[in-house]
Amino acid sequence: MKEFELESGEFVVLHTRKHWFLFVVGLVPFLILALLPIVLPLVILLTPPLAALAPTIDYTQPLMRATLGLWLLLVWTAAWGSFTRYYLNAWVLTSQRIVEIKQRRYFHREVSSLMLNRVQDVTTEVAGVIPSLLGMGSIKVQSAGAENEFHMRGIPEPELVRNLILKYIPEEPQTPGV
Amino acid sequence: MSETPLQPFAPPAGLPFTLPTTASPQTVVTILFAMVMVYWTIYTVVAVYHWLHCSHRSAIAIPAIGTHLLISFVLASYALSGLL
Repeated sequence: MKEFELESGEFVVLHTRKHWFLFVVGLVPFLILALLPIVLPLVILLTPPLAALAPTIDYTQPLMRATLGLWLLLVWTAAWGSFTRYYLNAWVLTSQRIVEIKQRRYFHREVSSLMLNRVQDVTTEVAGVIPSLLGMGSIKVQSAGAENEFHMRGIPEPELVRNLILKYIPEEPQTPGV
Repeated sequence: MSETPLQPFAPPAGLPFTLPTTASPQTVVTILFAMVMVYWTIYTVVAVYHWLHCSHRSAIAIPAIGTHLLISFVLASYALSGLL
């Protein structure tokens, strides 16, 4: 991995990213934009003052075909970029730490780690009908001193991730009683 | 001081070139095509760089890039078919 090197004895437990549903929802604007050239002539036809313009939008004409192809190419490129950003944002749980990789935009990448031995509290939240049905929620991981708090939003199976985090938190050595 | 009436502006006749007064739709779409392809090339190179360097050697990287190139090729060919 380029973002961080595993220590000796450290291994990756889980590699996760946002729920696929959030990705699909993010694609809706691109779908609307892609359908716009098809819907536009129908809308124009239904609008009496503009109805005379409807015959000019004819995609069998070479120039209109070229324009449609360019439009779809732009929309496709933007949608693919959206998938790229979705995929490059990830959370990695190793046996020793949680690593958050944020790809805010191209050439702007943040990688932060939280050692599991500093974790004090892990809270999960699943709120709403769709998140409950799809098993999607958020996890807040608080560390000692509250200097570093991880908030993973929209991840799949947050309870499972929480259980994995709790499982790999090292137990504190027992102090002998007085 | 003698007063001369203002004359309407006339472009100098000796210009070595003539400015286009109108552009044909074909020219406009051709220029648009070139601009979109330049944008697409830069965007694709940047995104491919990120896929190859930041995707944790994911097995999805190469199929994702291949799919993008294939669909882009189909759409660009479709657009080009209207220009040729």
